[in-house]
Amino acid sequence: MDDISGAELILVIGSNTTEQHPLASTRIFEALEKGAELYVVDPRRIRLTDFAHAYAAIEPGTNLPMINAMIHVIIKDNLVDRDFIKKRTENYEEMKKSVENCTPEWAESISKVPADTIRQFAHKYATTDKAMILFTMGVTQQTTGVKSIRALANLAMITGHVGRPSTGINPLRGQNNVQGAGDMAALPDFLPGYQRPEWQQTKDRFTKIWGDFSCLRGRNIIEMFNLMDEGIMKAAYIVGENPILSDPDQNHTIHCLEKIPFLVVQDIFLTETAEYADVVLPAASFLEREGTYTNTDRRVQMIHKVIEPVGDSKPDWEIMIEIMKRVGMDVKYQCPSDIMDEINEATEIYGGITHERIHDVGIQWPCPDKEHPGTPILHVGEFKRGKGLFTVNDFEFIGDQRTDEYPYLLTTGRVTHQYHTGTMTRKVWTLAREYPHGFVEIHPKDAENLGIKNHQPVKITSARGSIVAPALITDRINEKTLFVPFHFSESPANRLTGQNLDPIINIPALKVSAVRIEVE
Amino acid sequence: MEGNKLYTLKRENLDQVLNIWNKKSSVYVPVGQGKDINLMPLGEAERTEDYINLTLPVKEMIFEQKENLFKWKRNEQEIEVDSLAHQHRKDRILYGVRACDTYGVAYTDRFFLQEFPDPNYQSRRSQTTIIAVNCLEAGQHCFCTSVGTGVFSTIGHDLAFTPMGSYFLVEAGTDKGQALVSEAGTFFNETDDNILKKKNALKEKTEESFPLKMDLTNLWEDMSKTFNAAFWTDEANACIGCTGCTNVCPTCTCFNVVEENSDLNQGQRVRYWDSCQSDHFTRNAEHHNPRDSVSRVRYRIYDKLKYIEERFGFKGCSGCGRCTDVCPTYISIIDIIASTQKAAKENPEPPAIHQTTAIRHEIKDRELKSLKGLYTPDIATITRVKQETPEIKRIFMKYDDPDLHKNYEYKGQFFQVTVFGEGEVPLSIPFGPDQTDELVFDFKNVGSVTNVLYQMKEGDKVGLRGPYGRAFPYDILKGRNLIFIGSGVAMAPLRTVIEPVVKHPNDFNQVIILASALRYEKLIYKDEMKEWEKNKNLTVKYALKDPSDEVDAHVGYVNDLLPELDLDWSNTTALVCASPRRIKKVARDLMDLGMKPSDILVTLETHMRCGAGKCGHCKVGSHYMCVDGPVFNYEEMMALPPEY
Repeated sequence: MDDISGAELILVIGSNTTEQHPLASTRIFEALEKGAELYVVDPRRIRLTDFAHAYAAIEPGTNLPMINAMIHVIIKDNLVDRDFIKKRTENYEEMKKSVENCTPEWAESISKVPADTIRQFAHKYATTDKAMILFTMGVTQQTTGVKSIRALANLAMITGHVGRPSTGINPLRGQNNVQGAGDMAALPDFLPGYQRPEWQQTKDRFTKIWGDFSCLRGRNIIEMFNLMDEGIMKAAYIVGENPILSDPDQNHTIHCLEKIPFLVVQDIFLTETAEYADVVLPAASFLEREGTYTNTDRRVQMIHKVIEPVGDSKPDWEIMIEIMKRVGMDVKYQCPSDIMDEINEATEIYGGITHERIHDVGIQWPCPDKEHPGTPILHVGEFKRGKGLFTVNDFEFIGDQRTDEYPYLLTTGRVTHQYHTGTMTRKVWTLAREYPHGFVEIHPKDAENLGIKNHQPVKITSARGSIVAPALITDRINEKTLFVPFHFSESPANRLTGQNLDPIINIPALKVSAVRIEVE
Repeated sequence: MEGNKLYTLKRENLDQVLNIWNKKSSVYVPVGQGKDINLMPLGEAERTEDYINLTLPVKEMIFEQKENLFKWKRNEQEIEVDSLAHQHRKDRILYGVRACDTYGVAYTDRFFLQEFPDPNYQSRRSQTTIIAVNCLEAGQHCFCTSVGTGVFSTIGHDLAFTPMGSYFLVEAGTDKGQALVSEAGTFFNETDDNILKKKNALKEKTEESFPLKMDLTNLWEDMSKTFNAAFWTDEANACIGCTGCTNVCPTCTCFNVVEENSDLNQGQRVRYWDSCQSDHFTRNAEHHNPRDSVSRVRYRIYDKLKYIEERFGFKGCSGCGRCTDVCPTYISIIDIIASTQKAAKENPEPPAIHQTTAIRHEIKDRELKSLKGLYTPDIATITRVKQETPEIKRIFMKYDDPDLHKNYEYKGQFFQVTVFGEGEVPLSIPFGPDQTDELVFDFKNVGSVTNVLYQMKEGDKVGLRGPYGRAFPYDILKGRNLIFIGSGVAMAPLRTVIEPVVKHPNDFNQVIILASALRYEKLIYKDEMKEWEKNKNLTVKYALKDPSDEVDAHVGYVNDLLPELDLDWSNTTALVCASPRRIKKVARDLMDLGMKPSDILVTLETHMRCGAGKCGHCKVGSHYMCVDGPVFNYEEMMALPPEY
């Protein structure tokens, strides 16, 4: 995090940093105070653009052509870091060939970002020593999500912007512990510590701890809902997630939850999803339990119990243990630090991170042993895989585009004062008051054409469904583009989003849906 | 108190003294490290002397972040209400407070304890003794010496300690402080004035060590030239509305009132700290927000540097620098002062009238008669309900306690009406002073509270606080021509004058009522107006957007009707209730016809919550709409910043 304030150029792409990561944006402001420049790519004129030295008002879903065009310009204008490419990477020529036709003019025709702006972005990025990329869901939640990130990696590698302070491509995490959840293998294809279950050494390691165990590759959330729909998946146990509001295509999600024979939901409040549960398990909040969160910095940090759990609620780990006991498992954990002991043993990256060591200040993994100070920067000197691999990421349109029936592109996101599906923040008056209900942002010209007045309820329809929300007329959004925050159950943005998936990892394209809008 | 006695206390005896005091009272001392310093009960954690300042101003111990106001319970048809004035188990002694915070307490004492005294603050404050420990070192953003509130405490403390090497100089500021000295008398040695020389030398030395020194002599003049300066837009763009700055401010006093219900039949009303830096602090139920992002950010700075001092005579900023410390986007009151001074020098704008006017028009002689305390409503029962228009109802009620009707004093403009479990709304008084047996309100169904009120029927209970606000000045209207101008439900606040005028027609010359609405059925008092018109000197004229068969109406704005009124304009008073935008249009036309702005009376219905000038929601410049208004004359209205 502190690295951000040392950067000389910060390229923010698909991240509304001031509103969604205010403390990360504090570091951006620090950098600006020291004279750094800020370049922003976003379909909305977000608050950061007020401070930006350059801004690309991009079409939703077209990051990839712009990034490839930036690479094209950097290669063509001979601004690449030859030394870095030679020593640290492989497959450069193949990648170079793939962007030969990706001219800024070609990218402009797709992304609506002027070719000269793309050149400006490319030159500035390539010629600044400490240039750093920040991104979030505005890059990932697209059909080209994985390709775009790989392209960003290409961009960082051809210019040598990796493995040094204040460089790199940096995803800002959307939740306090999404990093930790991934680290602990809340992912379909890993065991904790990003260890593949099919590797022999993983099998050996976990057999030593757990005894005999079997491990098949799991399913991701999109696949799981489809399996519910097909009647193959018969039971689901949802912990701390509210897919009715957060997953794409709400009607499909509800259909699946109605269909599944047995549903358990574990959460701190009765969520929209919990309404469909056969069993609801009340969980304790962060104030009522011990444990750790791992933040966007890979920093593992302690949380300390402030009050006892309210009512019958229990910390998640205790609930899990009760269930383990009831299914006849031998449970050896007495407290969260017992679980951490096992994590130390089971993973390399958390090997030396104990509750005792992080009582006051967290440690950044990888931290293989108890003397290791932690690792602030990854890929110093060498990439984890050895040489950095250049990839080929050709752009093709997949998923929604504007049509006569659905002439607008909808992008979704959040507002400062609400968090995710509003389970917590909508219950707090001071936050709820700032944004008591949903809205749809629309450009003044579009509003005028459609005869829409400010605050007037309008109906937005996609191929999946319709919602009603009050219009918010603002020139902070591109023409023919709409924005709806997804926090609000009365006007759920995710009733409109669909199952257009990134073909590589199946992330849904929540940021791009074709819709129409009309006066209610 | 008599004299100002001086003592010394050996440092090594301090803990013994604190322990003696801790027997009768709870002594709180600074605990923690670095920037995380809190007042904690003595003995719970190790006391520290190594700190620049407390993380939160000591205000939090007297005006707490959350306080209960009253609880209510429904019992069959009845509703019982109990005030929840707070009592600490033991008196509190707060040790280690810095000068910026003692000054803050001196201001909050002035703010909360005068005019309508705040019962919660009063009870906590009377149980609190404050011991200042003077600073010998400045923090990065400290600037108390520039605003003149430090570096040594001069006000707001009961005892002031100045560290002088192996001992403290101890000065008693109040009888309360003196009593503490007596309680541990053996440890305090009385000393003479000579020690003050040493104290002053120490003070000067500390002042010199301050990294920040600003000359604020001409600040108000500079501010008057930079109200619309470009730098405000940059500050506004940076602000994300996290409200950190107001949460750490020793002089921030705003609160919001929230209903916390246990179930449908019982609950309590509580207040929480609120912040003018929250976007919707001033927003009303119909999306009208008098402050945009620029005026929101500017308002806090103006309040701290000007408005508070203008009104209460205390510095609104004690120079503690906490707001600058906590801002995640580096908005700094210190930088803003510098920007102001720079812009005033380089690019001054002609000062607006609201920046230079000296008109003061607040009312100070207010006290409420309710026995239950300022924030606790009295119960009233709805006696009948009349549908005035498709979306406006007229609701009649009586106090359950008939004595309240006897004590009813007619000098306000609105009541705060409580719907138990839902909240409270300010409603104008649409009846005259003669009517003391029944209270009546007209209201439109626009927000969550009025929506529930709208469903209520005869026999239902509501709560009432009031009357509040400055009313239309009835007596000075006598002998004059009157024009009443109101649109839709905005006719209600005018009826409070129309009623007595109709009863005493001979006291006035010509009386004209100009009633406007989109359509005739949207007008309130349709029947009454026909009745009032029977008075010889009273005429009603209608201005409607859509023509009507019911009455002879002008189709268009009321403004169109003004020129044809054959009035002696210099002897005419206009009473106008409309949106600020409409008020301005009407007032301009009236002035064109020859009226003086001081003869145009308007009511500014802003976002009022407490009614008593405490919660801060309706503050415009240095004026509180709920106590100084809502009635102003147009000259006064123009002297307010345009944020209503």
